[in-house]
Amino acid sequence: MDYRIAVDTGGTFTDVVVADNQGRLFFDKALTTHDRMYRGASEALGYIAQQIGTDLDSLISNSSLFIYGTTRATNAIVENKTATTAFLTTEGHPDVLVIKEGGKHDPFDFTTDYPEPYVPKRLTYEIGGRIGAEGQVISELNEDDVREAIRRAKDAEVEAIAVCLLWSITNPTHELRVREIIEEEWPGVPVTLSHELNPTIREYRRASSATIDASLKPLMQAHLTAIQEDLTGAGFRGELVIVTSFGGALHVNEVVEQPIFTVGSGPSMAPVAAKTYGEGELNHGNIIVCDSGGTTFDVSLIEDMRIKTTRETWLGPRYTGHITGLSSVEVTSVGAGGGSIAWIDEGGLLRVGPHSAGSEPGPVAYGKGGELPTVTDAATVLGYFDPDHFLGGRMTLDAVGAEAAIQKYIADPLGIDTKKAAWAILAVANEAMIGAVRNISINQGVDTRECIYVAGGGAGPLNAVMVAKELGCRQVLIPKTVAALSATGAHFADLVAEVSASRYQHSDHFNFEQAQEVLDHLNQRLDRFAERLPEGLATDGKRSYGIEARYPFQVWDLEVDLEESDIQDEAGLATLVERFHEVHERNFAIREPGQGVEWNSWKARLTAPLDAPNLKGQSLSKAGGEPSTRVKQVYFDETGLVDVNVYDGSTLPVGYRIEGPAIVEEPTSTIVLPPHSVAEVTELGSLIVDLV
Amino acid sequence: MSEEMKAQSQPQELDAVLMAVLANRFDGIVREMTNTLLRSGRSAIINTARDFSCSIVTADDQLLSAVEGLPIHVVGNQLLTRSMSRIHKNIQEGDAFLHNDPYDGNTHHADHSILVPVFHEGEHLFTAVAKAHQADCGNSQPTTYAGYASDIYEEGAINYPCVRIQQDYEDVDDIIRMSKRRIRVPEQWYGDYLAALGAARIGERRIKEVAEKYGADMLKQFVNEWFDYSARMTAAEIKKLPAAVLHGESRHDPVQSMEDGIPLNVRVEIQPDEGKIHIHLEDNIDCIPAGYNLSEATALASGVTGVFNQFKMKIPYNEGTFRQVQVHLRKGSIAGIPEHPSSASVATTNVADRIINMTQAAFADLGDGYGLAEGAIGQGPGMAVISGRDERLENAPYVNQVYLSSSGGPGSYTADGWAFYGIPVCAGLMYRDSIEIDEQKYPIFVKESRILPDSEGAGKFRGAPAGRVVYGPTQRQMNVVYAADGIQNPPRGVLGGQDGSAQYIAKVATDGSVTELTASGNVEIQPGEFIVNETNGGGGYSAPAERDAARVAHDVQEGYVSVDRARNVYLVEGDFDKDGRFIVDVEKTNALRKNAGGN
Repeated sequence: MDYRIAVDTGGTFTDVVVADNQGRLFFDKALTTHDRMYRGASEALGYIAQQIGTDLDSLISNSSLFIYGTTRATNAIVENKTATTAFLTTEGHPDVLVIKEGGKHDPFDFTTDYPEPYVPKRLTYEIGGRIGAEGQVISELNEDDVREAIRRAKDAEVEAIAVCLLWSITNPTHELRVREIIEEEWPGVPVTLSHELNPTIREYRRASSATIDASLKPLMQAHLTAIQEDLTGAGFRGELVIVTSFGGALHVNEVVEQPIFTVGSGPSMAPVAAKTYGEGELNHGNIIVCDSGGTTFDVSLIEDMRIKTTRETWLGPRYTGHITGLSSVEVTSVGAGGGSIAWIDEGGLLRVGPHSAGSEPGPVAYGKGGELPTVTDAATVLGYFDPDHFLGGRMTLDAVGAEAAIQKYIADPLGIDTKKAAWAILAVANEAMIGAVRNISINQGVDTRECIYVAGGGAGPLNAVMVAKELGCRQVLIPKTVAALSATGAHFADLVAEVSASRYQHSDHFNFEQAQEVLDHLNQRLDRFAERLPEGLATDGKRSYGIEARYPFQVWDLEVDLEESDIQDEAGLATLVERFHEVHERNFAIREPGQGVEWNSWKARLTAPLDAPNLKGQSLSKAGGEPSTRVKQVYFDETGLVDVNVYDGSTLPVGYRIEGPAIVEEPTSTIVLPPHSVAEVTELGSLIVDLV
Repeated sequence: MSEEMKAQSQPQELDAVLMAVLANRFDGIVREMTNTLLRSGRSAIINTARDFSCSIVTADDQLLSAVEGLPIHVVGNQLLTRSMSRIHKNIQEGDAFLHNDPYDGNTHHADHSILVPVFHEGEHLFTAVAKAHQADCGNSQPTTYAGYASDIYEEGAINYPCVRIQQDYEDVDDIIRMSKRRIRVPEQWYGDYLAALGAARIGERRIKEVAEKYGADMLKQFVNEWFDYSARMTAAEIKKLPAAVLHGESRHDPVQSMEDGIPLNVRVEIQPDEGKIHIHLEDNIDCIPAGYNLSEATALASGVTGVFNQFKMKIPYNEGTFRQVQVHLRKGSIAGIPEHPSSASVATTNVADRIINMTQAAFADLGDGYGLAEGAIGQGPGMAVISGRDERLENAPYVNQVYLSSSGGPGSYTADGWAFYGIPVCAGLMYRDSIEIDEQKYPIFVKESRILPDSEGAGKFRGAPAGRVVYGPTQRQMNVVYAADGIQNPPRGVLGGQDGSAQYIAKVATDGSVTELTASGNVEIQPGEFIVNETNGGGGYSAPAERDAARVAHDVQEGYVSVDRARNVYLVEGDFDKDGRFIVDVEKTNALRKNAGGN
């Protein structure tokens, strides 16, 4: 087997990156074919086969692994195309999905209707029977209610059923019995039980996870089955793995059973790529990863070589959207991309976003009818983009139109010239991005001054150096594959399985025996997972453990590493408790010495590398000559209009140093090096920019 | 950062760009403080319901940023720092002050405010404020809302008239010991104190970084310009309103010493030419011998909130805003500045809620397109303070305010009411308790929690429906203390919109018999017994017969409105299809609405 294939399908484009057995990467893209994913991917694969010097059939049949990342589940939710789903809930509590956890963004806003629940109330059914907080049965399950609910759900033509009963995490018997009855009454209908999918306290989170998962089952099962068929038909004999929201991959069979793991998986691969390059090129473990396209700026964080995850991922806005409730790569998104519109508010203040011109009509410079000035227009006016060679020459920019729009809507009202106005637009957009980065880093106790900054996405390298400088980062890394960072990342993803369990423990009356039981139970589940993997796939698995701990009476946990030795004896436990005090102080500025620590949630994670490509395979040959350059006038706040060198990125030799101000042009991205920055070309063709 | 770099990055002039940058930076700091307090708080009222607010005030006592704060908590925060500067002449770096004195700037005794003065190069520039509602504050009864109190002595809370609680970043142990003796479940209080202190210290740390980078002069200049900007924004909104003098009236349900209820009134003067609004509350009655008197901070906040609820544009609220929206108060009035020893124990909710409601509703007198209906009021058992002992924890005492009730927000001229609204002073901002978290932390069993059909104030835009909560103790007696409203005088609709449903409170005995309870109480509930609370629906905006029939159909199929009510109140006819969708019969509906004299 000579190749591995990674495919990242977005709403518009499908990115494909193929790695050969020396670690060389080949990249192409095609339009996404929504009816049958493989058609679009095979088109791009055909081009790549040509680059490699082989044909499509031989490329496919000689590939050992197909790594597939898709936004299909996310898009289905956004576009309201998921399965009609019934929700079975504990009697007396029908409004779990309506009331959620409360909260609202603006106390003075009375112009917005209350959001609709994920499952409508008319498809919500109350089931008699109640478990208590300690797992005791307060009243028996009313099986007639279950049968009646199934009958009514059938009549209403639902396609899937989600079950979330109160306290199923301490005693799952009622939920399990409900599934038995469903199997009797309606064999074959997809079912999700909340305690199996997401055994966490807080009924809304569990219910939300379960309903989202159930609603995706019919659609994602059909989609993934079709891909398996198409791949087999094309002669593929390797394994199909699917990219998940927690920055790893799972074998397709696992994802078919729990499709929620693909929700929000879109931005989860950029940090995997960033981690790979950060480790490989700079040996630095704290990384801010910024992926910026046309409408949003996504930030994720790597701390001590670990990608930061969260259990608070919302589809749509916080409070008014729907929480997935599962561990996923933490991503902060702000509506600040190339298409974000600049405007002056009634108090005379310049604002950028949240409205975006999108790709249609797009920025004024695109010449497709956009009238309002955007960040892309500002960059055009500042001279950063070459109007004749935008997107590798695929598009011509209307610089005159962009300048006129900035003049009319921004410069004139503010009484400044257009260059200054364009700079101001960029600066305000940068500030939104800085806020997003601070939110995910400094707010959680991570000092940006100890991080490197990795830029990704088509618009990422435009202001990466400026944003990084403001944040006090020491270095910026712009990988050679910056524009296809996610598909590249997929090649470096591990198989990652995470299991969790609830069991209350308090450090002052700690039960070592019970703790070991929990760990054994988690390990058994990981054993089962490992056993189900096809032979030869990810054999070298590593296990790690964590607990979510807190001071007594707190309800929000902090994740703390757990070593097996921590629960062997008092000395180990003391280490664990001290580790929590430290994490608490780092996050919340205080610690309470002498106070006990409690936790309920235990996690175990199996990480198995998928034999990633050798990074060195991407090395450039060192025999480079002088790069190709030209001179151009651009604007910076500090210098005003200034002549700078514009480099053709494909001609830069290893070790070449560029002093800012300068511009580096790659086929699908433009790197701006402001004054006082110095970039150097690495062995892998990336740029490392030093700021200190 | 080297000196050279610093000089390089320190901008020389404040322009529009830097102003936006700094405003976002200060808001970002307040958000970080807020996140810290939520995540590290101990009592459910803080860590789950988010009954707290963080803010930054300038050294010369002007509110700068209070983003995401509860308006009732933050509008008067400049009063807190004013008393800090007046009382303490030797404020030092490393100090922290605990302030809860409602006679000198705080909201009420249960809100413990931690003030941390922030210094840069030896100069006091800002004060970081974290104000959190405590689960207990040492009242004579286990509640933080002592409606029963005829004065501060009967109320019983510890009063901290802005006392130094940290010096050189270390606790002043005298204050801590004193508090632990007088506050129920002292460890819970101390943990919550640490959480608020941590939030304020995080604010201090971040503000110092900003000062380091930009310098004191630049920040002072920013503050002034930012206030000017905010004032301009507010004036621009006010200029869209017609010149008018509006009157609003309201009546709180009867409380002790006020058998006919508490009459309240407001006069609103809109001066679009000057971009100003004056809220007059001076004509209200004197303080009463019960805990319902407002503090100066809450009187200011409720007046401002009633006006802010009108604005369409998102406006930062700070000192600049308050120049344009001025609240006029009288000393010694129930809706003004209380005089010691009158009790202001319940100052953050009941009368404050009435003032917000009647002010926002008064604007509807300007016609369709203005104002709001009234929202749900009063904190019944669904938002009560519960206390007792927990057998699971060796009979350790517990006390906490639960936040379980859903209640109806007011209809507006463009939208239906917000469903998990709470009361006007929090307007949906607070979070709801998780039933599982409450049952794990306290020995409580929540039997029922649902939204009630046919409880909304009908209207072209309806109020949100009321909620019903039923709970009781699991093993031992539980005390439930609450101070409700809206039983006799539920939230009103405006411009032909109907009133929301009335609040209802009852106790269910072990034999199932039901006894209705009074508007406020301290009730003992035994295991097997339950307390029931049905909250208010929100008031409706404009006539129900004008409501879009598709909205009515949606309400019917989702169970918010019955078929009968759709026909009789909204004049919409229709039927369910086999999928359970409600399909409007357009002909019959048109006929019904025409016969009723509509158009």
